[in-house]
Amino acid sequence: MLARRHLHPGFWLVFWREIDWLRRRPFLLAFITIVPIGLMALLTMIFSAGLATRLPIVVLDLDSSDLSRSIIRMVDATPDTAVAVRVGELAEGRGMILSGKVHGLLMLPQNLERDVFAGRRPEVVFFYNTQTLTIGNLTLRGVNAAVPTAAAGIRLSLRTAQGQPVEEAQAALSPIPVQSHALFNPTLNYVYFLLAAILPSLLQIVVVTASAYSVGMDVETRYRLRILGRLGGGLWPAMAGKLLPYTIIFLMVLGVSDAVLFSILELPLHGRGWLLDIAGFLFILSCQLLGALLALLLKPTASAVSIGTLLTSPAFGFMGIGFPRLGMNAFAYGFGALLPGTWYLTARIDQTIRGTPLDLSWKPILVLLAFVVGFAGLVAVRLERMRSNAVRDAGSTQAPALSEAVS
Amino acid sequence: MSGLFAVFRSEFRRIFALRPVFSVLIVGSAFYGLFYPQPYLNEALRNVPIAIVDGDGTSVSRELARRIDATSDIAVTMVLPDLVSAEREVFARKIFGILVIPRNFERDLLHGRASPIALYADASYFLVYQRVSGGVAAVARTLGAEVETARLIGIGVDPVLAGAASDPMQLTAVPLFNPQGGYATYVLPGAFVLLLQQILLMGVGLLGTLPGTDPVENATYGPPPGPFATVAGKMLAYLLLEAVILPLYLIALPYFYGLPRLGGVIPVLVFAIPFVLSVSGLGLVVAAIFKRPLPVQLVLATIGMPFFFLAGFAWPTEVIPPAVHEASLLVPSTSAINGFTRLAQLGAPLADVRGEFLMLWELTLFYGGIVWILEVRRRRNARRAAVGVSSREPQIARVV
Repeated sequence: MLARRHLHPGFWLVFWREIDWLRRRPFLLAFITIVPIGLMALLTMIFSAGLATRLPIVVLDLDSSDLSRSIIRMVDATPDTAVAVRVGELAEGRGMILSGKVHGLLMLPQNLERDVFAGRRPEVVFFYNTQTLTIGNLTLRGVNAAVPTAAAGIRLSLRTAQGQPVEEAQAALSPIPVQSHALFNPTLNYVYFLLAAILPSLLQIVVVTASAYSVGMDVETRYRLRILGRLGGGLWPAMAGKLLPYTIIFLMVLGVSDAVLFSILELPLHGRGWLLDIAGFLFILSCQLLGALLALLLKPTASAVSIGTLLTSPAFGFMGIGFPRLGMNAFAYGFGALLPGTWYLTARIDQTIRGTPLDLSWKPILVLLAFVVGFAGLVAVRLERMRSNAVRDAGSTQAPALSEAVS
Repeated sequence: MSGLFAVFRSEFRRIFALRPVFSVLIVGSAFYGLFYPQPYLNEALRNVPIAIVDGDGTSVSRELARRIDATSDIAVTMVLPDLVSAEREVFARKIFGILVIPRNFERDLLHGRASPIALYADASYFLVYQRVSGGVAAVARTLGAEVETARLIGIGVDPVLAGAASDPMQLTAVPLFNPQGGYATYVLPGAFVLLLQQILLMGVGLLGTLPGTDPVENATYGPPPGPFATVAGKMLAYLLLEAVILPLYLIALPYFYGLPRLGGVIPVLVFAIPFVLSVSGLGLVVAAIFKRPLPVQLVLATIGMPFFFLAGFAWPTEVIPPAVHEASLLVPSTSAINGFTRLAQLGAPLADVRGEFLMLWELTLFYGGIVWILEVRRRRNARRAAVGVSSREPQIARVV
């Protein structure tokens, strides 16, 4: 095997050299395998609960009546909120919000029960912390479900007291009830929403920066680039042989994380698995080519890695999961469109939870394909330019190339 | 003391002299401060497009559609004949919700029966779902209350009482600290702290791995600085740099982006001292682990995002497994994101964040201690290698 490799320069020679190289550089191997898988395991543990339930709030009950007690019971009974403490005054409750112990304060005013039955429409006030937006909204959802339920009981008794039959009164309570259906994620599970999207964006950072690093090592100087070209019997097969080992490893990493998502966390696969696989393959390839392109354009390698980091590490916000792209300004919308991850996540959401019909599934996949073709074309153009420069300077480059190699 | 000052001065110069470090700490800080907030600057989702499938086609159903369209949350962009064709538009991401008004909607309402409507909202993006379902529910509730009041007045109830009967106990929800529920207001204060940490970690990591990091080699005259002076001098240099960058990030940028804040400047700056010192310590430890600049860059680039989700900001600490949370306290951002947002955004007094404040000092001592021990050991090894095995014992005596 070894002998044959040395005899025939070409794609496979560079391929095996790269694998040897990875074996001798445990850091890079760990960075493209253990680091992403370890971070994914960490994130999976963070979100393992899937739903955020029983978020603590504080109650200030100034009435202490049967009604106020039943409201507190109902608020405590909703899945979203838990009444963690009761306080005697507003300042104490405010302090608890400021110290981060609770997410909201429910204030039941004095004479609540008396005023309700006298028809004075007293106000129940819920103060909630929207600095942490999602958490605050969850507590509001709990209180919003509980208090109207308590109010409905009162309205029913007000009506039956007027002599209305119970059934009729019940129908009249909510003249226009909204039957709300959460499409595609009926339980509003954070694992399917957030975790399933964080993992690919993590991989995007690893693939782009690691590719910039590994390609950069071979093209940083003209001398090294020439060696790579000789080994591969041409720059193109050399580049393909250089990238392929990583493609295989990244696909395996993606496979591990998807195996965990689908089998252990039970992420649904309502669409087509093969389409998801194609999208994953194109996504990794486009990220690799982007990294390679950065390495070819920017010297030294450290700059290529830096720019790769600048582009991908803040990318999660631009991909429109937490805050949808629909609401972004033109710059953010445009930058998001240039990230392979944006389209991969679209394809992923289509094929996993949404189960998008086949004929509507192609757009993100075609965009990813366009990225692969476009980046590959740019890499090829850049390689040709570098080669023709090398040929043109052939006579005079001998000395500088040597000195570069020495330094 | 003069050794400490010499280290401080040379390290501070290196920040500006070394190109990669300057790019990360100065150029990087400026870039991220402008680039990172872009997706969130519109603060809220407005006019999320939905479709209406109106099986009733009466004046009341049209009134309902009109009122929904009039909210700032939702825009009715399509009127479609059936649910199947509307679903296709959802799959195509043209619309994000379908409101189905069934036949006889108006008739049931006029007859005093409950007249339900069905909403199908896209929950593959939570913010979209929240907007659409919240907006429709609010309109249906108001319209419903009007209908109910009208009915009660119709059967002879006093108008004042009728109003009370349809809504006997008002629930007033008061959002605190982020009154508009803006997304930038929510994400950016925490994200800025994380960015500060990651940029400083990377800068310190590079300073600790690039040539010239050893002050013993640099000492041109006088005795070389001791291990403590080395560690403390470097940390002070980072503290001085952050004395400029941190206020820009945590005070000037939030002001520039118009984020509401209730806290004063002084508590933030006091809290920042152990934050910067603990991050500097961690950065020096990272440098000692990876030894070369490129690995430092690669690892730190990847590891930032998970730290955000550990801080209990996007995902509540209460539901993070306790062991994971305890371990996450080793990263300064976990305590710092919490502490800074409560001080600056919520206007909490320093006393309310003393847990986080003390934790950051503990981390400073912990990472500073590790770096100090590493520095002592490194010198002992270096000298042993230089002097040879024979002089081993006096060496140890001197270090101890």
